[in-house]
Amino acid sequence: MKQSISIPLGSQHIALLEPVRFRFETHNETIVGVEADVGYVHRGVERACTSRFEFKQIPAVVARVCGLCAITHSLSYTLAVEQLVSTEVSRRAQYLRTLMVELDRLHSHLLCLAHTAENAGYEALFMQIMGDRELIMELQERITGNRVQFDFVCIGGVHRDVDAACAKAILDGLATFEPKLEALEELFETNWTLSLKYKGIGAISKEDAAIFNALGPLARAAGLRTDVRAEQSVLPYQEVGFEMVVEEGGDIYARNRVRLREMRQSMAMVRNILEGLPEGELQAKVKGKPEGESIMRLEAPRGELFYYLRGNKTATLERMRIKTPTFSGIPAMVKIFKGQEYGDVPAILASFDPCMSCTAK
Amino acid sequence: MFKSYRKKSPWILHYNAGSCNGCDIEILACLGPKYDIERFGILNSGNPKQSDILLVTGPVTYRSRERLVELYAQMAEPKVVVAVGACTCTGGVFRGMCNVEGGVDRYLPVDVYVPGCAASPEQIIDGVIQGLAALEAKTKAIEEPKRLFGGLHETLFFTSRRHMRQRLPHAED
Ligand code: SF4
Repeated sequence: MKQSISIPLGSQHIALLEPVRFRFETHNETIVGVEADVGYVHRGVERACTSRFEFKQIPAVVARVCGLCAITHSLSYTLAVEQLVSTEVSRRAQYLRTLMVELDRLHSHLLCLAHTAENAGYEALFMQIMGDRELIMELQERITGNRVQFDFVCIGGVHRDVDAACAKAILDGLATFEPKLEALEELFETNWTLSLKYKGIGAISKEDAAIFNALGPLARAAGLRTDVRAEQSVLPYQEVGFEMVVEEGGDIYARNRVRLREMRQSMAMVRNILEGLPEGELQAKVKGKPEGESIMRLEAPRGELFYYLRGNKTATLERMRIKTPTFSGIPAMVKIFKGQEYGDVPAILASFDPCMSCTAK
Repeated sequence: MFKSYRKKSPWILHYNAGSCNGCDIEILACLGPKYDIERFGILNSGNPKQSDILLVTGPVTYRSRERLVELYAQMAEPKVVVAVGACTCTGGVFRGMCNVEGGVDRYLPVDVYVPGCAASPEQIIDGVIQGLAALEAKTKAIEEPKRLFGGLHETLFFTSRRHMRQRLPHAED
């Protein structure tokens, strides 16, 4: 007779950075059922934003929803609120915002790759990637003054400028980083341990990805062409030369490939931005109070980030809704887990790059 | 013997009690090669029973407080709590939000506070090193005979091993 065993994983676990709890039903090591509990870090950010804070303070508050994609959060909110108070942002500020978003994507993807390598038992590669990631962190610190949680965007523009010396430092940093990225790409493609372990593990088909509403690298690895950067025009992505990265296969290997290729894209975009940085004001004056409704979508490192705001001509917003990429991706994740070996769980989980702080807010 | 090991190689346990991940990735950066906290012999362990230092991040949410106290209770004495990040120290930007307790010291005795949003890796390393000093002091305090009940302590069991050894021959005659 087959017996099923239920194994809890989390909320505190060595392979999990995030406080999330899974309960796996397993038949002989094969997972047949998954339950996910993501609410451990719920802090009530949405509610606080509509009661405690004024709309001008909120960019700094929503940045604390998530430390990894903080800039995407505060930028989505800022863009949404700028529609409500009709502020014109200069092209220079827009370019600088795009620059920071892409640098943020670089370091976030690197962290995910490092974590995937560590969960496969490849400790040395984890160290190597974390070392490379410091190069990007140094650039971020150079531009904004802080390593994570830089409150770079404000309503109407950005706080700090990138001058010629800083631009040169960024280009130098990227030049140092590029050969390391090439080595990483080669390692992830040809290394026996990584490709053997990762090919065919945790796969999702294109149809399933579409049905379960997968987003970001998870969807693009399965061959779905979804990327908000190609669909919206509030940030000058068409001008800085964005191309969508799509892979087939949908397994861990494909997800790693998508991340590596996207990093290449981001580096190219950063270079283009610095080359064609237009002149202009850093900050525009903000007049009036938010009134009406607005919606904003941006591509965070993990997928589409969605903001909905409603204001009623007072300093405090009436309603705010954040839908984060991991939250929408959970059905797809549960689908992927079914039928996999229990031993593969940490590697699969790391390759999703889940962000619980985003999900629970 | 364990005493000297513990001083040279303390193990840390990291728990995210509702943080934004900003401080967590900085702790991860500490483990990376640039800051390399392992050169102090410090290892990141996932097991509370083996850990000496508890690194807490986040403002302690309603859901996670029970886990946090459980983890603390599972750690063996002596143990040290290091609060990493502004929101762990005081609640930070989350102070007063509906699901947040506002600082970890409402539940656990904190030995070292590391401020900053996000706390930089240098600060975190400093905090952990200070935690080591607190750990040593606590180890000493445990080895002293405990005078919990004033003059009564001789008749009770609150004695250290050293104390017991001294008393054994006395008990025989
Ligand atoms: S102190 Fe700041 S960066 Fe650190 S966890 Fe709290 S909100 Fe995030």
